Amino acid sequence: MTVSQGFKADLLASIPSLRAFAVSLAQNADKADDLVQETLVKAWDKHESFQPGTNLKAWLFTILRNEFYSQMRKRGREVQDSDGIMTARLAVHPAQQGRLDLEDFRSALEHLPEDQREAIILIGASGFSYEEAAEICGCAVGTIKSRVSRARARLQDILKISGDDEFGPDAIATHVIGSSAA
Amino acid sequence: MTGMKTGTKADDGRRQGKAVDPLGPNSEIGRKLKQYYDDLVSEEVPDRFAQLLAQLEHAKPAGKKD
Repeated sequence: MTVSQGFKADLLASIPSLRAFAVSLAQNADKADDLVQETLVKAWDKHESFQPGTNLKAWLFTILRNEFYSQMRKRGREVQDSDGIMTARLAVHPAQQGRLDLEDFRSALEHLPEDQREAIILIGASGFSYEEAAEICGCAVGTIKSRVSRARARLQDILKISGDDEFGPDAIATHVIGSSAA
Repeated sequence: MTGMKTGTKADDGRRQGKAVDPLGPNSEIGRKLKQYYDDLVSEEVPDRFAQLLAQLEHAKPAGKKD
């Protein structure tokens, strides 16, 4: 059975998202592109196991993520050996007036454990639901929720943003507005 | 900053079931996260990937190895 043109086109269209997710995971552009390449090859080989009509992006992200962790296991986690350097580079200045430099944000993100980083990326940036993210990561929805919340707290801590200082309604006010609107 | 609330309320309405969104537009972390990610998504894709797919397509037209 040949791979359909539609599937190929969908793969092509997914590449920008796959690269963004890969960079977020690997924190290295070359490694990220190798991951994407490996993902495309695997997706191509297993295309028959993809159920048309289901979420292709989630399927591809799952493949990419599995590839990332299996490579990391093979390499004995050398990726994460740079804690000292990381800390030194994290001389982040506090956010001024709620403005925050993207470079500072990037290095703060790098400082998160992978499981928290992937969770906050999937939920906060890639647009997946908690359920989808849980499926991609092969864990419970509650686990994703707690990772996202720890990631957020850690980022706020590193970047010295206090939740209260963020403009707009605080969590409680948002909650009140949310429930009265619903 | 109460002016912000009006826009946010509409957003929350659209995304029901996500009424409390700690990574929403009111969150500095949420906004930076999206900016970080959108920058990555909008990067130009190297040709190698289109070439790879073309290769895959021609290498195994029958989808079988054996």
